[in-house]
Formats: sequence, structure tokens, C-alpha cells
Amino acid sequence: MMCSSKCTTDDRYPGGGVTIAAGLALRGRALLPLIALLGVATHSYAAPPPIEPIPQAQVLIELPDLSNVQGAATDKTPEQAANRIQAFLQQARTSGDPRFLGYAQRAFNEWPDARLTPRLLMLRASLNQSLHKFDDARADLDKVISHPSDPALKTQAWLILANLETVQGRYDHARVACTELESRYAGLITASCHALVKARTGRAEEAYNRLNAMTRVSQSHADRTSIAWAQGTLADIATQQARPDAQIRWQKALALDPDDLYIRAAYADWLIQHQQPDDALKLTEGYEQVDNLAVLRSIALKQLDDPKLAALKTRLNQRFEEARWRGNLLHKRDLARFLLDVENDPEAAFTYAWQNWQTQREPADTALILRASAAADKPDARQTVTRWLEARHQQDARYPENLL
Amino acid sequence: MAHKASDGFVYLDQREADQTIRVDLAVRDLALVVALDHNRDQQVTGAELNQARADITRYIEQGLTLSSSAGNCRLSGDQWGMTRHSDGPYASARYGIDCPEGTVASTLHYQLLFEVDSLHRGLIQRMGAEGEQLASLSPDSNTLSLSGAAMPLWQTFADFLWQGVVHLVLGFDHVLFLLVLILPATLRHDATGAAGRTTLKQRLWQLAGIVSAFTVAHSITLVLAALNIVQPPIAWIEIIIALSIALAALNLFFPVLGRKTWKLAFGFGLIHGFGFASVLSDLASGTSQKVTALAGFNIGVELGQLTLVALVFPLLYLMGSHRVYQRAAVPAMALVVSAIALYWAAERFAGLPAM
Repeated sequence: MMCSSKCTTDDRYPGGGVTIAAGLALRGRALLPLIALLGVATHSYAAPPPIEPIPQAQVLIELPDLSNVQGAATDKTPEQAANRIQAFLQQARTSGDPRFLGYAQRAFNEWPDARLTPRLLMLRASLNQSLHKFDDARADLDKVISHPSDPALKTQAWLILANLETVQGRYDHARVACTELESRYAGLITASCHALVKARTGRAEEAYNRLNAMTRVSQSHADRTSIAWAQGTLADIATQQARPDAQIRWQKALALDPDDLYIRAAYADWLIQHQQPDDALKLTEGYEQVDNLAVLRSIALKQLDDPKLAALKTRLNQRFEEARWRGNLLHKRDLARFLLDVENDPEAAFTYAWQNWQTQREPADTALILRASAAADKPDARQTVTRWLEARHQQDARYPENLL
Repeated sequence: MAHKASDGFVYLDQREADQTIRVDLAVRDLALVVALDHNRDQQVTGAELNQARADITRYIEQGLTLSSSAGNCRLSGDQWGMTRHSDGPYASARYGIDCPEGTVASTLHYQLLFEVDSLHRGLIQRMGAEGEQLASLSPDSNTLSLSGAAMPLWQTFADFLWQGVVHLVLGFDHVLFLLVLILPATLRHDATGAAGRTTLKQRLWQLAGIVSAFTVAHSITLVLAALNIVQPPIAWIEIIIALSIALAALNLFFPVLGRKTWKLAFGFGLIHGFGFASVLSDLASGTSQKVTALAGFNIGVELGQLTLVALVFPLLYLMGSHRVYQRAAVPAMALVVSAIALYWAAERFAGLPAM
């Protein structure tokens, strides 16, 4: 399952470990991004929240494990640094907490470019992916791939690259990466890689059937990571085709890894689009700290006319306001979705959806820009997207009016 | 509570004469830089946060610097407590800002938390008389210029014009130097008793020549220094300025530097220009409109100078008809001025940093 709904490219890669199978824990999604530039914003922000007395007895927060943060400067060898950085990236993935990306970035500051080993380069590519610095990520992956290094590292680099290219809609490049992967690591993950590219380029039916058959055959002997990967990809293609078994596929994928924030969001989105907001609420319960799940939850609350929506809307607005102040419009897709489906502001939604579509072209990104351009009456943008889809023979049930 | 990247919130209020600043840092972030979780149970309680108050405020004060044209400003604690942003509890500290000589902070330098988190950002909201300014500071761009951002050009020009007038009038060394320069033109007879009487018209021409020479000279060096083309050591410039006054005064009686006062005015004017420039560079550090500031300041200096001459010259000229003025007042003035100037020179020399 490469990504379906929100696959920021950072989502999946099999980790910086030695084998792909070791990557299960690293495969979380839900990440965040954030490139902040110095910026002086123009619009006005709310007054600062009030200063209150500190309640002596109350527990203010539970701290995550921060033991790794101190001491980044004391790492003597590239291996020590890589272990530390990998732990940060892993914490960022499994918790959806972007502060760990900042600690990873800080750790890289201790290592000048000339001293980066292939493993550090690959970790930096992964970090840059999470920060939506796709070109930087690609450059680092190219270095790992084109220089003599550990074959396992190269395999991982090809897989991250395949994912990155697929998410950005560069299917020719993605296909090359999947093929490279094939010669090094045949199996369900490689088959998923090819299936997704095929599905995005007009051969969804064939892709689904082949991957489905292969998954069935491999069920008994494949590792759990590979099976979860294939199930996610099948769910993704089933959603693209509006197959009746899409829901069961999402449920299977989630059951294989309930901590996978990406699958959770993709399934919640599916539920919302199929008018099952109650189930979407259950699925997003307790995940409000993750932006995309919180936005999906607010849409479900709106579908249900639930009075709890007002409070969540306020919190989301505060979050997006802080993010805008920061100057990085990180979750452009989430913000656009929120503006379009909750705030009824198609103009603003279009702006962010369009910016998002410049770098990320998963079907969910494409569906959003098509809906936003229709709502905001932007026929030119719509035409650009349609032409792009036509050139790739991409068809998707989420934008049936664009079916060829 | 949301997960988000780390931000520090800074609210700077410069709408009133009493400037204040408030800094909110996430408890989660503070746990990385001060000892918060004393019992190591992975929880931070209100009591633990209060206990760390001194450490936290010390941390904030070392990582946040406000400065004005006159130097670094002092923060004085005003309020302490907690607040909430979208990702949870924050420690919040409010300070009064005391800048030297009652100036307004013009630069904010932020480097909190960058040592542990390269994606940390300082989110600055500044309320000024001209409105609101928002910024996001990062490790690569950690300094914010607070003044001039929204100031119209004419305002900058007017402000610096006034500064120029004020600096000339209140900067006694320039006033004294000018006074000594115009003294010869107030004497109906040359102090040396040579040559015959000169007419008022000739006196005025002489005066115009002296003032113009001084103006042209200090304008040249002011521009050169303000545009960073020449950067002489300001401590020595200040000493030479003091000596120039004494020399000019002594030259009235012992014309070691010649009788052509305008030449004297031009020569020392060059030095005085550097003195003006050092004041201007301090004042203009917060503005991006340097050229406008320079023009305003220079014209302000000239206006101040002309006003002074217009007020003082007629007075001295009228007194010039009295023998007492010529015989006693002028030598007395010259002596007093020389004494003051030499005292300044000595004082400034003593204040030089050890070599």
C-alpha cells in the first residue's frame, strides 16, 4: 500500500535499519512538515491568551521520552549520530509529534556535509521529506544510490525514492525506482510499488487483481510488514476504483497496524466520503492532536450537526493561525480541507489546495483541488489539473467527472 | 492537545512609554533546557514549574536581548504564570523594559531553544504606535528590527532633522567650537590691533565664509562615515574635537594656525563631521531608511547651526563696540572655552581603553 489519501511522502519507508522487515515501527505516517522562513505576516492575530496563576498540585503535562535530546553534540561517530537521529525520526512518526524533527535537524547541524555517511544521508533525506523539502531529499537519495554503499541502504533509498516520486505524481521516475527495487528486494512491497504506479496511470484494474492474487499466495509466508503494506495498497486502489471491498481492505490494513496514523486517516476519510460519520468519529477519537485526523473529525462532526463542532473548530483555527504566523504553511492540504468543508471559505481553500497540489499529487490532493476549484469557480486551474490527469490516464472515483 | 512544532511566543508592546514584553515558552520545551521534572516521573506539576521559576526567567533573559540606540535594555520581571497555546501549557513571564536614556527598544535578538531544536521559531507580535508587526525568528534569522518598519519617509526625515538640531544645540562641543570661530568676526578691531576698521558687510561675509566652510567640511565626513566609506576610531575623534576647540580659542591670540579662520573651520569641520556621524549611526541603527535619515540629520545640524549664529552673532556684534568686550570679555571667553575643552580632552583621553 503506498499511500492513498494523505501520503505526505515522508510516510513510508522501511526505516534506517538494515533490513526492510525491520521497518515496521518506522512506517507510521501522519507527519508534518514545517519550513519556516522569516516572514512578516500581514494580517491581524488575536490577543494573547491570558496569563493565569499556576495551580500547584495539578499535573501540567506528561513528558515524552526526551532522553535522546541532550547530548547530540557529544556523538563521536557517524553511527552514534545516525542512531540518535533515527530514534528521533521514529518518535516523530509514531507520535505524529514534529518537535522530534527539530531535534533531528539540530543533530545534523553537528555533521558537515563532507562527513555524512550514506546512512546519515538517507536519514537526512527522510527528514527532508517530512519537512516537504522534496528536492533536497531527492538529492540525498541520489547520492546514496549512485555511490558505492551498503546494498541494504541502497534498497531503502530506492524505496523512499519510489514513494516520493509517486506522491509527487512523477510516475515515470517512480516506475524506474520500483524496477530497481525489484532486482534487489522482490516481494509484496516491491509488488505494491509497481501496483500503485500502474493504478495511477490507467491500469488500476490490472494492478489490483495482480497484487490481490500475489497477496493471497504470500499470506502464509510473508512477514507482517509486507502484508500490511500490500493491504494498504489494495485499500488505496480499491478506493480509487470505488470497489465494494474497499472498506474491508481499510479495516484489514488498520487491524494489522492500529498505530499507523496514515491508514487511520485514509480510512476515516473513506468513511466521511461514504456518509458514515459516526464511524469516522470513533476512528478519530483520541487523535485530535494530529492535524489531519482532527480536520477529518471536524468534518464528521459537521455531517452529524454535532454541537461539539464549535469547540473543535476554535481549536483548529488557533492551530492554523499559529502555523500561519510561523510562516510555514505546513499542512496546506489539511487547512484547505478545513476551509472548504468546515469553514465554507472556497476562495481561501482554493489558494491552499492549489499550493499543495504544486508539490503533492496523491488522489486526495487532486480530488481536493478539483473540488476547491469548482467551489471557487476557477476554471483555468481545473483545466490544468484535468489535462495533467488525462496525460497520465489517471481515473479515480473521487473525481468521476474527470473520468475519460 | 495538538502536536505541533516548537514555537516561543513573544508579545512586545511599545504603544506606550512604558514598554513591556511577554514571553511564553512551552513547558514541554522548557523541560529540555532547565531542570523541571525534579522527581523524574515524566510529569511536570504546577509546583515543579513554580520551583523552576528563577531558572526559567534566567534562561529567558539570557536568550532574549532588546536594545536601543543607547545600548542594551534591562528587563524587569513584572508578572509570572502560565498560559495555554494550541499545544498545551506554557510558562509565561512579563517584563517591563528599561532602555538607557529613556530610549525605545529598536532591535530584538532571539535565541531561545535553538540550541536543542533547529525548527524552533520565535513568533514575535509587536504592537507599536503605527500598528502591529508580526515576525517569525529562526536560527538563521534571529534578529528583528523594531523601528522604521512602517514609518513613512517624511516621518523619518522629520525625526532625524529634529535629532540633528538637538544634537548640535545640546552637543556643547560643537556649539563652543562655533562660538570661538565666530568671535573674530564680532571684533570691530582685530584682536591683534592690526589693520583698520571693517564694515558690517565685510563682517557678515567673513561670518558666512566661516560657517559655510565648517558646514561643507563636516557634511563631507558625515556622509563618508554614515555610508561606512570611512570609519575612524570614534574615541580619538572625540579627543581631537575637544582639542580643536582649545586650539581655535588659543589661535585668537596666538595665531599658530594662521589668521584665515575659514581654513581652520574647514579643517576641524572635517573632524566634527565624524563626531556627528557616530551619533547618527547610533540613532539610525533601527531604520532601513538610512539615506533619508542622513539627509534629515545633516539638514537638522545646519539649521541648528544657523539658528545659533543668527541668535548669538548680533548680540556679540553689538557688544563688540565696547572696549570691555574686546579687551576683557573675549580673552576671558577664549580662556574659559580653552580650559573646558582641554578638560574634556583630558577626560576623554583618560577614558580610552587600555592599549
